[in-house]
Amino acid sequence: MLSQIAQKHADACRFCWMCRHLCPVGLQTGKEANTPRAKGLQLSLTQRGSASFDANMAEGMYECLLCDACTNDCVTGFEPPLYIREARTQAMVEDIAPAPVVQVLDNIERTGNIYGEEKPTFPSKDNAEVLLYVGEVAACRVPQLAEAYMRLLDKAGISYMTLEQEPPSGAMLGDLIGFTQEVQDQGAACVKALDASGADTVIVLDSYDAAVMRQRWPEWGLSAKAQIITATAFLDQLVQEGKLKLRSLNQTATYHDDSRAARTLQEFEPPRALLAAAGIALSEMFLHRDLAKCCGSSLANAYMPQITLLTAQGRWHDALRTQAQLLVTTCPQSMELLGRAVPQDMELIDLYTLLERACE
Amino acid sequence: MNDMTATDSLVCVKFVQQTDGTPGRTLNPADEAALAAALHHRTTGKVTVLSMAPKSCEAGLRELLARGADKAVLLCDSHFAGSDSYATSGILAEAIRQLGPFGLIFCGRRAIDGETGQVPPALATKLGLPCVTNVLDMEPRSDGILHCRRLLEEGVEHLACQTPAVLSLCEYSYPSRAPSLSDLRRAKGKQVEHLDAAALGIDPSACGLAGSPTRVEQASPHTSGLRRVTQLDLDTFVETTAKLFREVLI
Ligand code: SF4
Ligand code: SF4
Repeated sequence: MLSQIAQKHADACRFCWMCRHLCPVGLQTGKEANTPRAKGLQLSLTQRGSASFDANMAEGMYECLLCDACTNDCVTGFEPPLYIREARTQAMVEDIAPAPVVQVLDNIERTGNIYGEEKPTFPSKDNAEVLLYVGEVAACRVPQLAEAYMRLLDKAGISYMTLEQEPPSGAMLGDLIGFTQEVQDQGAACVKALDASGADTVIVLDSYDAAVMRQRWPEWGLSAKAQIITATAFLDQLVQEGKLKLRSLNQTATYHDDSRAARTLQEFEPPRALLAAAGIALSEMFLHRDLAKCCGSSLANAYMPQITLLTAQGRWHDALRTQAQLLVTTCPQSMELLGRAVPQDMELIDLYTLLERACE
Repeated sequence: MNDMTATDSLVCVKFVQQTDGTPGRTLNPADEAALAAALHHRTTGKVTVLSMAPKSCEAGLRELLARGADKAVLLCDSHFAGSDSYATSGILAEAIRQLGPFGLIFCGRRAIDGETGQVPPALATKLGLPCVTNVLDMEPRSDGILHCRRLLEEGVEHLACQTPAVLSLCEYSYPSRAPSLSDLRRAKGKQVEHLDAAALGIDPSACGLAGSPTRVEQASPHTSGLRRVTQLDLDTFVETTAKLFREVLI
């Protein structure tokens, strides 16, 4: 059922529980089946013929944010998301994936995005050297983040374009069904569109897209002609080059590292440098940088909104303990998720809107 | 066997020990490329994967069915154990004769364990077919002529060869392809076929240790080129570096 390598990761887990206290889902639901080790144990039992991979087990494999906190913490080097993703593929093959998951797959097949909606377009200049890859979450659910970013580019004098028909990168489908050929085909179509634009730099707004472009595309033999850079890293460069001048806002905030930026891209400094440049004193949450706790992904939110409400609340609990009044993130998906549970005494803001306030 | 019109192809694969010291076997990297090439150039024919391996490698072959192969055959018999490249190529050739005809026979150019690179040419010799080794890419033409680029030590050679032929592919020459959901659904009901020495009509004295002229007398780790690295704490590092500087400069 699983590839040999994934099976090895499931079988070799020592069931030591060390990753248990870091799983954002397990922590919030309190269900043993939601812990990474339990998922490994179940799949290992299946292989040994002591359990069967049924709809119930398949549902458990979808109750995971693929946030990699468990991988990051596993001292023995196992990667639960490796077998969880493959178990999702298997659930699709066996036709036992939960109905809401199948609905999201249907949305992607019909419209290219998880919402099943027509994706809004953004203003674009022809033949610019810089292309802004907006991504489906920012486009459909958090357009204010994308628009704030575009205004910052305007202020810095950067001429940019967007794609009228922006193809998916493969990030969402890869998390939903595992890295099958269909996902690689999505990646290949996206590379083709980026190459056809003629841009030499592609700024990526959503770290989930950036992670798949940087980490998975090369594994699939895909490479875009343009340099791919995250939106935050690009902005940090503009500030360092003096193209964007910021004044001090003199505030205190806490910063939420989203899981792909933190653990796949390991991008911790650019957002912190930008916050410092805008005079924001940082009050870090207990779990930050590579240990950051995921607040829930937009994909998971699309098929299990009750659980992602809990994971968003879990992250807000961490934020409240910092005493900061402001929670800042660069991640459109975190904006969507955390936006569902903003506590009374705190404000949620994306970094780009905040930086706009600091622009001279 | 030498049927110029055959459209089916066959891929010989080997499952080698993990290189990170962990238990279990994994597909030899060059054989990954061989399978990817066979799937890439498949037109109307079927792709069969063939491996001489212990029974535990059946799971690996099933994975290759999921990755797009139409048929998987495992050559498994205790008499095969210990076969060198000469005996192995003989067993594979016999199986290919029984399973064929094939238009193209793909192999990896070498396995990362034995590193001999002898099986593909030996196989071609036993089958009486032309062989192109170290293939980087190829272009099959409708006239039955195959155009290949092959890697040489100091360049790349362009060759045209008649089919059927045996090809040995360079590692990473063709990117591996992930299975699609429909591939996986199709592979669900497929079984790995087993063949042993009796089924192939092979005399046990022609395989295994008995049929292998090679004798490994001794194996030892090589030490040349290895760097001697010592981990030092800061104080010892400063002291050692100062000593080295003194020795060199004074
Ligand atoms: S995945 Fe790693 S940390 Fe988690 S239970 Fe298994 S061995 Fe322990
Ligand atoms: S990837 Fe994240 S959500 Fe999934 S099991 Fe691991 S820690 Fe839990």
